[in-house]
Amino acid sequence: MMTSKVQRLDSGNEQELLRLRRASSRTSGQNYPQYNWNSPEERDAGNAEAPRELRTVAWPMALKRSVRQVQQMQVPASSNAASWKHNKTKSLRKLKNNFWEFLYYFTLWGRSLQKIGGNFGGGVQSYFLFLRFLVVLNFVSFLLIAGFVIIPSFVLGSAESGFVNRTEEGPCMTYDPNPNTLVAFYEYFLHLLSGTGFMEDSFMFYGYYNNNTGTEDGSRAYNIPLAYIFTAIFYFAFCLCCIIARMGTAARVAVATGGSTVGNYSMIVFTGWDFGCLGNQATKLKQKNIYYRLQVDLEEERIKKQAASLTPWRKVALYSLRILMFVVALGLIGAAFFGIFKATDFSQKHMEQPGFLGLLIEFLPSIVITTGNFLVPLLCDQIALIEKYSPSITVVMALLRAVVLRLVSLGILLFTLCSQITCSGNAEASACQQCRYDHEKYPCWETRVGQEMYKLMLFDLLVNIALLVLVEFPRRIVVDNWSCKLSQLVGRQEFVVPSNVLGLVYGQTVVWAGALFCPLLPLMNTIKFVILFYCKKITLFHNCRPALKTFRSTTSTFFFLVVLLFGWTLALVVMIYSLAVINPSMACGPFRFFPSMWKIVPNSFYCLSKVTQDFLFFIGSQAFSIPLFALSCVIMCYFVALASIYGKSVEMLKAQLKLEGQDKQFLVKQIERLKLQHLMPALRAEVQD
Amino acid sequence: MGTTASQLGKADLSEYQELTFLTKQEILLAHKRFTELLPKEEKNSTNARVPMTKILTLPELKSNPFKERICLVFSTTNPNDGSFSFDDFLDFLSAFSDSATLEIKSHYAFRIFDFDNDGTLSCGDLEKLVDCLTYESEDSRLTTEEMRQLITNILEESDIDKDGTVNLSEFQHVISRSPDFVSSFKIVL
Repeated sequence: MMTSKVQRLDSGNEQELLRLRRASSRTSGQNYPQYNWNSPEERDAGNAEAPRELRTVAWPMALKRSVRQVQQMQVPASSNAASWKHNKTKSLRKLKNNFWEFLYYFTLWGRSLQKIGGNFGGGVQSYFLFLRFLVVLNFVSFLLIAGFVIIPSFVLGSAESGFVNRTEEGPCMTYDPNPNTLVAFYEYFLHLLSGTGFMEDSFMFYGYYNNNTGTEDGSRAYNIPLAYIFTAIFYFAFCLCCIIARMGTAARVAVATGGSTVGNYSMIVFTGWDFGCLGNQATKLKQKNIYYRLQVDLEEERIKKQAASLTPWRKVALYSLRILMFVVALGLIGAAFFGIFKATDFSQKHMEQPGFLGLLIEFLPSIVITTGNFLVPLLCDQIALIEKYSPSITVVMALLRAVVLRLVSLGILLFTLCSQITCSGNAEASACQQCRYDHEKYPCWETRVGQEMYKLMLFDLLVNIALLVLVEFPRRIVVDNWSCKLSQLVGRQEFVVPSNVLGLVYGQTVVWAGALFCPLLPLMNTIKFVILFYCKKITLFHNCRPALKTFRSTTSTFFFLVVLLFGWTLALVVMIYSLAVINPSMACGPFRFFPSMWKIVPNSFYCLSKVTQDFLFFIGSQAFSIPLFALSCVIMCYFVALASIYGKSVEMLKAQLKLEGQDKQFLVKQIERLKLQHLMPALRAEVQD
Repeated sequence: MGTTASQLGKADLSEYQELTFLTKQEILLAHKRFTELLPKEEKNSTNARVPMTKILTLPELKSNPFKERICLVFSTTNPNDGSFSFDDFLDFLSAFSDSATLEIKSHYAFRIFDFDNDGTLSCGDLEKLVDCLTYESEDSRLTTEEMRQLITNILEESDIDKDGTVNLSEFQHVISRSPDFVSSFKIVL
């Protein structure tokens, strides 16, 4: 054995030696965590080296069992207080485990999500997780609204005398949502689709609620208008908290790693395999997937090296091409916006057409938005091919364009509605002079806005179902049974995660924008999303082949929530504008005699006791807010300093590790040199013999 | 004791609950699936072992490219033949369960990826690992040039002490920065 070692020394292969040394140390069990065989008191007196729980140590079962027996034999020797504490922590842990097991049964759709993740990967699963989050959010917000607005309205009977003729019959007061009580059957269906008629005269819309649950002097049993406003505000705050809480977990990882992008290849190779993959198909697909990712990354590296060596002329040509394509994309999006503006304008002006044509005109804005949302991303994809960005940047650009398109088109629709209601902000225009809003076309404008949002939501659902039935199933049937060149080219449907997620964000933004005017909208959205979940699941399993270019699941969750926040901001702007600026309708709703919806808060404020008033004034005054602001600045500085210290210590530890490695190599060289010096005389003696 | 009698005793059940990350239902399901794999005559004997070939017929492992490595890592026979006793089976399920800690998972992942069992991931280990991850048919294999570039990149990123191999701490360092690892290193019966 010694001669073989000498031979290795002679070849000077230090790496080999290091590995041999490690192998011998491994067999002696040094890679296993060590166990402190002392009794508990000695252990506590020293340092807590022994593992808290046996199962967190990577030992085989037999070893764990014998250690546990030793632990159990040692337990009676310890004092009463220590053993009582030990028993209490053990039973508490058992209780916690049982509670989590119990709760797991109630996770919605847990098994389906697991199956989806195993067969289609983390990216598609993150879409369904996002959908589940939205379902739960909508349902909880519906419970909130029902508890504070709908049920009190129902119970206190405030809504019944909603449309009694009042003594002051002005032009602003005429509003009759349901003129014909006897309607033909098909008109019933039309009313259901467009939210008019019997639907308008119900709890669905703002116009049905009232504020006559008490006397006019403000001492009411239950102040419905105040509850309405505060519920709406709290609903927005609640949604914001949920989104930020969910973002927190995703963001924590990004911050903890210091935002480093190093380690891409090692991450893919070490953590890329999904052990939950079931079946040969899924495994082959995952392998192709990883192969594709590695290839793309290696190619990007090569392209970068190439791009760094481009001649200046070619660089100029490339950049000018990119700027041109950017302008073209902007032009396409602008054309879509103009189309939506014109369609909304036309639709609002020609509202009162009977029959099917009227229905078509009513749904015109939704149709134009949906068409735009389909066509423009397709064209933008073609543009992206010309631009020749690297693959990751292409994906991000496409997503940004789609987000801008969807959310701003909704914004344009709302803006157009708003300008029509308030005669473009011109209070002196003939139509708006009397009531400060266009009372002839919009006797109850809040209900009308609520109806528009309801129509958008319904149309979105119908389009999704129609696509499923009319496009995806036939496509699968054609591709499977008719093998010609075209069907090979087109292939089976791919489940594209980003565009589906944007559809969800769009739907949720519509609901947020309309929740103030249509309190039942969150409930309808919950039902819509549940139907959508099952539809998408069916189409996923029957019609789709898994995508080759997968979406990274964790960064994507963060991205979805950021986009959702954009939608929330848009809806917040709408709510603030309606609360504070536009005059509420005088013919309907709980705010009919206030100059603006927000005015009820100051009015009710003066009904509170003097102490509360003084306290609230104090909180709003400068004596309180400036010190609070200063304190929050100090706290923020502290956290920023803490974060930078952690980042620096990580860097320092990394550098220390490098030094340790170099020390180790130096020491090994020394050892080998000493061994050689030791062996040489012995070898010479051997050879002489 | 490591019993494979048809009924699992209550004391054994609570002992397994303490020593693994599995819930009571998961342990009972594991016991059921394990006894199904045993031949008839051994169904009631204690300390029975299931040979590797039978373990590889489990649907959760059947198409996993790391199935042989998993069997060799969790088996406690000497010399190692990849067969599982019920204890080994529970160890395996515990490491791959939902609630196992990151340290356990990364420790076992390292051992699974260490194809030559020498305690570090050398170039040969990394090459075999990449092959397992990508080799599905002849045309989806990385060329030698690409493989070399890839392994150089991996060592550059993760080998901190520059000794040409990735040891356990360096491996755990890479793993700790990946948020997907815990959810992808999961096998549920």
